[in-house]
Amino acid sequence: MKKTIQSIVTLVIISTSIVACTKSDSTTVMPVTAVTVKDLPADTVVGLSAQGIPITNGKYTFYSLEKNAIVPNSDSATTKWDVAFMATRIITNGGTSGTGLGGAFVYTGLFDALTTIPTDSTFKTDNAPTSYAITTGSGKGWYNYDGVTNLITPLAGRVLVIRTASGKYAKMEIASYYKGGVTLPATATDADKLNKQRYYTFRFAYQPNGTKTF
Amino acid sequence: MKKWVILFLISAPTIAFSQVVMVRDTMQSIGQTDSVFVTANRSARKLSNVTVPFNIISAKQIQQAGSLRLTDVLKEQPGITMTSGFGAGIQLQGLNPDYTIILINGEPLVGRTAGVLDLNRIALGNVKKIEIVKGPSSSLYGSEAMAGVINIITESTTNIPLQASLRYGTYETMDASINNTIATKSVFYQGFYNYYSTNGYSIRPNSNSRVTTPIGRYTINQQLKYNITDNTNIAIGLRLTDEKITNDISVSNGGATINSTGKEHNQDQNISFTLNHKFSNKIKTSFKNYFTDYNAKQDLVTITGAPYYDLLNHQFQRIENQTDWNINKNINVIFGLGAVWEGVKSTRYDSEKLRKNNTIQYGFTQFEWNPTQKLILIGGVRFDKNETFASAFSPKFSGLYKISPKHKLRFSIGQGFKAPDFRQLYLDFTNAAAGGYSVFGTAQAQQVIGQLSALGQIGTLYDSYYQLKTLKPEFSTGMHLSWDYDPNLNTNISVQLFRNDISNLIQVQQVGAYITGAQIFSYLNVGRAFTQGVEVEVKRKINNHFTLNAAYQFLATGDKDQIAQIKAGKVYTRDANGYSKLLTLNDYVGLPNNSTHKAQLKLNYNASNGLFANFRMLYRSEWAVNNTNGNEVFDKGDEFAHGYISIHTSIGKEYKNGFTWQLGCDNISNYVDPSNLPNLPGRTFFGSIKYQINHK
Repeated sequence: MKKTIQSIVTLVIISTSIVACTKSDSTTVMPVTAVTVKDLPADTVVGLSAQGIPITNGKYTFYSLEKNAIVPNSDSATTKWDVAFMATRIITNGGTSGTGLGGAFVYTGLFDALTTIPTDSTFKTDNAPTSYAITTGSGKGWYNYDGVTNLITPLAGRVLVIRTASGKYAKMEIASYYKGGVTLPATATDADKLNKQRYYTFRFAYQPNGTKTF
Repeated sequence: MKKWVILFLISAPTIAFSQVVMVRDTMQSIGQTDSVFVTANRSARKLSNVTVPFNIISAKQIQQAGSLRLTDVLKEQPGITMTSGFGAGIQLQGLNPDYTIILINGEPLVGRTAGVLDLNRIALGNVKKIEIVKGPSSSLYGSEAMAGVINIITESTTNIPLQASLRYGTYETMDASINNTIATKSVFYQGFYNYYSTNGYSIRPNSNSRVTTPIGRYTINQQLKYNITDNTNIAIGLRLTDEKITNDISVSNGGATINSTGKEHNQDQNISFTLNHKFSNKIKTSFKNYFTDYNAKQDLVTITGAPYYDLLNHQFQRIENQTDWNINKNINVIFGLGAVWEGVKSTRYDSEKLRKNNTIQYGFTQFEWNPTQKLILIGGVRFDKNETFASAFSPKFSGLYKISPKHKLRFSIGQGFKAPDFRQLYLDFTNAAAGGYSVFGTAQAQQVIGQLSALGQIGTLYDSYYQLKTLKPEFSTGMHLSWDYDPNLNTNISVQLFRNDISNLIQVQQVGAYITGAQIFSYLNVGRAFTQGVEVEVKRKINNHFTLNAAYQFLATGDKDQIAQIKAGKVYTRDANGYSKLLTLNDYVGLPNNSTHKAQLKLNYNASNGLFANFRMLYRSEWAVNNTNGNEVFDKGDEFAHGYISIHTSIGKEYKNGFTWQLGCDNISNYVDPSNLPNLPGRTFFGSIKYQINHK
């Protein structure tokens, strides 16, 4: 709302140097750089039915953290993707969701302060439809839903710790669920609340060397 | 421009009120027209002997401001803030509307929606004065008197054979009143008839739903008092308010707009019977029987969907005896006993046919001691035994020390409570329109959820579900310290410090979820909070014509559990980029809907020829309205309503022949905030006339 709304079609990807960094020095662990992904669509509303029910395509948006790019839906049965988004649900490439080694858990704390994944943490895998590694539901996983304002707000102080399809590690923090990268104000129009939802803005750091250190 | 035209067209028929201008003493000229205060002691006491913080609103103030409904006048009082949602309620010293008991002639009003009693129900045409006591007063009044007491007094012995008034203003708002009294040596009768209607208004552009909906409301009030002997009298009071509201609502359901027409019919009836007897100059007693019935019905017919029907019926009956004993000139004692039966039925409970009941037996006593001319000490206690929830014990101690003729100190400490209401015990509500969430009252939540679980409809149950148990009343401990300073006969300055600590707050908590993911809520005693602040009020009679009243309130509030969490470094918030950071106490703003600063300035003019005018300016600083940054607490990164100033004025003249005219403009600067201040219309005008036959 307050910020200029960025282009919808393309993702704004902030350039990084992960690959260069790790290749140039494989003996010392270099801190990985955080990458921001803006306005990633996640099964957005495409229209209304005659009864006024919102229509979506019902498809996940698959994402590779290693390549920092969207993976086409035709590759959903491969290990090319690490996480996928559909509305408020986020799945990982493992368990019932995929063929990879993927898993995740929700860590309470600050993104920057999480420099090493605690040794006593347990990665969960998806077991659809009863449970997901990243717990679904308001106030339980990564977001809160306000029934009065009809807004989804990412919970502050939550880091999604992800094991990728190839068994590497990444951390992710979601900033917004709305186009433009900022949660809509409560006074936003119903049309905006409907059409600007399901766009993720998040940052992540991917550790390509297989360690649990960021 | 258009509004001005309307104003001139309607300025012929108009309003208001009148009393022959009288010479008043200093106190009265500063705004206190009555030198007696009843609410603080449940017995008339001189204003100068009241030991607790109080305010009085006189009939003159009400009428000169052109106030029509109770909300109009209360929102201009120091320490009081209007709230919106479920009707117009008031916040007293930072505490929500549920925590202030509203009395008419000492008898409670019932019929709250979500804890809020709609104060627009109360017409002011026959009000003699409004007494406000700040601070917990459960030691005399029982449940709900946690933040304070507002007592509307209509009883009067003034003989006004006939008084008629008519007022008209913006949004086709019309108010007509007739008031007549008959007073002889043995009989006093007062009849009051009022009709109020408004076409309502919509301050949201391009919206067909009105913030204030078209209303037609009449009020009838009959009071009869008969002196059987010099020492015995009986009094009967009847009050009826009946309102019909037309509500055109647009509901957006998944992007589609559904228009519907709603009809609302609310009736509030009460009857009281009192027998007073004076055994001697030292002992008097009164028996009171009070019955009230509040009935609210809503019918909503949508163009596309199914009809919606909602009913709430609340009945309350009380029998009470109070005896006042003046043991000697330094000691007064009062004691009382009473019983309450209360019942509610609603479509929002499991069956609208089954009335949910509660009974209360209570006893109270108060001991008042004047050890010296300069000191008054009052101690009191009340015990309420409840059938459906835990009992409550409410002590209070207060004192007044007259340091010198110019300086007074008041101190009070007391406990207040609010019983869990029927909604918190028995609500059985599923909102099919908004995602299918459910709210179940604690009395049956575990049973209902157990049944749903057996049917395989429950997805998850939270720890909070297993913590559900019999609700306890919410408790508050309030402390007040105030200093009154009269530097000269024309000036009064008062400074008051207050602190309220609240425990056992009853809050809605999610206890589980359906298989569909829809949330299930119930009520638990979980919260601990505080409100504290300073109130400063200056009243000054500038000269024979002008009086000035200035007040300021500083308020700080907080949820104690949240503060503990923040101190422990467990609460996060978001920075400008939307990413998390730790929340510090500096950024914590406390409870929502509370403004840190409030101020008001009122200037009154009264000429000897009956001309009067006033100018009132009210300021309220910003307040948090929505939690938007992903934590459960309100901090500086959340959504705030802007602070604002509203300005009101009126002018009129009272003639010796009994006529009064008045013209007024409310909200001159036309400040509106549709989302956060739905009860504040833009600029409005009114004109009124009034005629009164004065007693010779």
